[in-house]
Amino acid sequence: MPDNRFIERPRSFCSLGGALLTATALPEVVPILHTAMGCGGSIYWNQYGSTGYLGAGYCGGLAVPSSNIQEKDIIFGGLERLEEQVRTTIELIDGKLFIILTGCTADIIGDDVQSVVRQYRNEGINIFGAETGGFHGSGYKGHDTVLTVLASEFIGQKKTKKKNKINLLGIVPGQDAFWRGNLLKIRTLLEKLGLEVNSFFTQHDTLDSIQNAGDAELTVTVSDFYARKTAEALQDVHHIPYVTNPFPIGPTATEAFLKKVAEALELAPETVNKVIVSEKEQYFHYIERVADAYNDLDWQRYAVVVGDANYAPAITKFLADDFGWLPELMVVTDDIDEEDKTKINAVIESLTSHYPAAVAYESDPTEIKTHFWQVIPRRTDSLYQKTFSPGFVVGSHLEREFAADIGAGHLTVSYPVGNRIVLNRGYAGYDGSLSLIEDLLSVIAAQR
Amino acid sequence: MTYIELKVAPRREERLGTCIEFGGTVGEVHRQFCGGCLKNRSRSFSQGTICQLLPATAILTSLQDSVVIVHGAVGCGGAVHSQGASVRLGQFNSGDKNPKGALWLSTNLSESDVVSGGEEKLKRAIIEADKRYRPSAIIVLSTCVPGIIGDDIDGAADALKEQVAATILPIHCEGFKTKIMATAYDAIFHSFLRNMVDGNDETEFAVYNNEAAVTAEKIRRSRLVNLLNVSSMTGPDQKELTRLLNKLGLEVNMLPCDAHPDAFRLAPFAALSIGVCPTHDDYFMSYLHEKFGVPFVGGQMPIGIENTSLWLRQIAAKLGLEDAAERIIQSETEELHRALQPLLPNLKSKTAMLSAGEIRTLATAVLLQELGMEILAVRPYHYDEFGGTEISKLEKVNPKIRINVATAQPFEAVNLIYRTKPDIYIGHNSDNIWAAKCGVSILPIYGTNSIYSGYAGAYDVARRIERHLKNPVFNEHLAKNVRQPYKESWYAEDPFKYIKGVE
Ligand code: SF4
Repeated sequence: MPDNRFIERPRSFCSLGGALLTATALPEVVPILHTAMGCGGSIYWNQYGSTGYLGAGYCGGLAVPSSNIQEKDIIFGGLERLEEQVRTTIELIDGKLFIILTGCTADIIGDDVQSVVRQYRNEGINIFGAETGGFHGSGYKGHDTVLTVLASEFIGQKKTKKKNKINLLGIVPGQDAFWRGNLLKIRTLLEKLGLEVNSFFTQHDTLDSIQNAGDAELTVTVSDFYARKTAEALQDVHHIPYVTNPFPIGPTATEAFLKKVAEALELAPETVNKVIVSEKEQYFHYIERVADAYNDLDWQRYAVVVGDANYAPAITKFLADDFGWLPELMVVTDDIDEEDKTKINAVIESLTSHYPAAVAYESDPTEIKTHFWQVIPRRTDSLYQKTFSPGFVVGSHLEREFAADIGAGHLTVSYPVGNRIVLNRGYAGYDGSLSLIEDLLSVIAAQR
Repeated sequence: MTYIELKVAPRREERLGTCIEFGGTVGEVHRQFCGGCLKNRSRSFSQGTICQLLPATAILTSLQDSVVIVHGAVGCGGAVHSQGASVRLGQFNSGDKNPKGALWLSTNLSESDVVSGGEEKLKRAIIEADKRYRPSAIIVLSTCVPGIIGDDIDGAADALKEQVAATILPIHCEGFKTKIMATAYDAIFHSFLRNMVDGNDETEFAVYNNEAAVTAEKIRRSRLVNLLNVSSMTGPDQKELTRLLNKLGLEVNMLPCDAHPDAFRLAPFAALSIGVCPTHDDYFMSYLHEKFGVPFVGGQMPIGIENTSLWLRQIAAKLGLEDAAERIIQSETEELHRALQPLLPNLKSKTAMLSAGEIRTLATAVLLQELGMEILAVRPYHYDEFGGTEISKLEKVNPKIRINVATAQPFEAVNLIYRTKPDIYIGHNSDNIWAAKCGVSILPIYGTNSIYSGYAGAYDVARRIERHLKNPVFNEHLAKNVRQPYKESWYAEDPFKYIKGVE
């Protein structure tokens, strides 16, 4: 999605939306919007329909403190209003850390938010500011901006590093509707390796544990694309090196991931092998008893996968390398540059099954259909034809209509997720791929 | 109405003296608004809320055969991801078994567009939308970024008029321009009036070359009424109102929501325009009246038993259908009262607080009074002269009912709930959660494919309140196990402490 063009039904929040969802996902953090009045509401309505009906949380939704700047503030500057809003927020709201997030309006008029931040910091308030106006980019960018501010300004400097302690990045609250489940699954898995994990957004993370994350030995990013600046800030400011890894779903991808982390931390090979063996055992404990139906009912499917740069390759790899499905086409919906495309292409080129999945980079639902039709043969009247049947589309809720048109099954995984409710479900790792199997096959079984 | 010559509809603050900051009693708001001293207020603490873009996308993405272009940063139209669910439901209800949902584009204004302007990008989007979807209308919504950098959306639309087959409707709904989100209604109608409603009778409705057909069409038009629906009305609501109007022998031209743009073209030829919400439709109906002589009735929302009867009476009076209306009212209300009898004992003296758009809140409160419930507080999203009629009705029962004029602002709601402890909170999508976290039962004040309007709506609201009161444990558990974000001290403070400019 080149930025000189419109986007049909965009597949991401704006920078402010990503920033706000990140802030509300952090423990004991209270965001303060410095925006016009509607941004808070727009984001809240958005998250409802795109993030599995994600609610407001502690101080999000329509409770989020917001300067609600008006035309006169745009003309004369909005700092006076912001200053007042910060004062009353501190007076009224129970929070341990405040973070001012600017919207388009404030960024265009160039309000010097840092001057307000300094003023309240001098009074001993734990407050930060991030420039997150929507025109700066997508929700992924807003997420990275907020975490970068925390990494460079909030996380305390530590002289010595703690062996086997890591920071976990790469799962973006809101952009990934399953962020809570995914994070917890990866965190739990890494803990099995004996690691201490700062994962920012789970119920096991606290503001203290985040502030003390400066002594981590390594940052592990389960994404080749997201939260990159944060990882760099942790490296530059705190001298914590980082490794990135494609988002892992399923035994094949997860095994490679665990080995990579173990290698970076120089863990004993027995440690990691033990975990891999036991996790795989767990996985097949369940697989063994769905294999009957998989085979009896011919539950292998052709597939098209549409998703962001985390999900699309991860699901494609799982389907091709673990689940024995036939991913004919993978569509990556992020606006990513050529260099990053090579990373995604590499995942597909190195599929252990060698399945020849086609790859496209496109966000526009109309254009995506065009890509579909290039790989999916149109039905003819002939008795003998090679069709995309039985077929399945794994994507967002925007692909629902297309899937119905071609008579394929459909599961929403990637943003926008407006036809599913998401609580603690996650697809990452070994355990998550079992949930993915449940969800895929339930779509098929529901028709029986 | 001289406004129509202007590119941009005036703000409600100016046109109607509308305000969004008040705390007191219904008696006080009535007296003080008449004194005109509610303007120029503000809050020193405020919470993120709804700008005029949100109702604009809700209404406009529901139009058939149209494309909405949100001209702004990529987040501005994001609300459509959830609003689209009702659009989809609407399409499904009208027979589409694989509905496409809301069709909208974002011009995705970026850092470089902020510097060099977004007009060219907008033009490209309009041209491509026309080619790609072949819609009847292309609706361009301006947001804060183009509003500040000075993009001329009207100029862009003008320039493309010849080149594009669709009618282009530029609409100004920049969030920072007005505190009153209901300004969106004026902004929308303003553009449709300027660009589509021309009273030009060369359309399919009028070209008949034989006399019998012309007479038939004349007769049809003498019974044709414009029904101005609102986006908070569900399919079942629209069905109920249409049912009542059909009983009066009227044919309904429904707009704006879920309508085809042709409904706007037809509007000047109707015998009457009927509003369902004074705060929503006055701009459009008074213009149709002034310009094309279409009379209108608009003082009444058909929510509540008496209100529905009054609505029907006002319509009937304009068309000389009084007797028919009385007969309908009598038989409808008799049947309704019979149906309500078993429910009423369970609702008697139950207490309620309500929160949503101005008239919706007040009219629903009036309905609850009819059901024997006690109103503790009303929280209209704004207040202006249109609220007076319903306020008087509430005041007659109890002048001490509290009123909190606020566009959401749950911090004030939560404080009021702790003071008044209602049995049920009947609120707007997205502000209900804060009452729920206080342990109160909730009935959403609109939506969810349920019915609220007319006589059938009165019954269904009663039935659903009774249902909610039967098992409140979900929210009771919630209240015991999650925290509100306010400091304990807040609950001892005046809930309206942060409203400034009060003399
Ligand atoms: S930027 Fe302006 S138009 Fe867009 S959501 Fe925010 S307030 Fe509304």
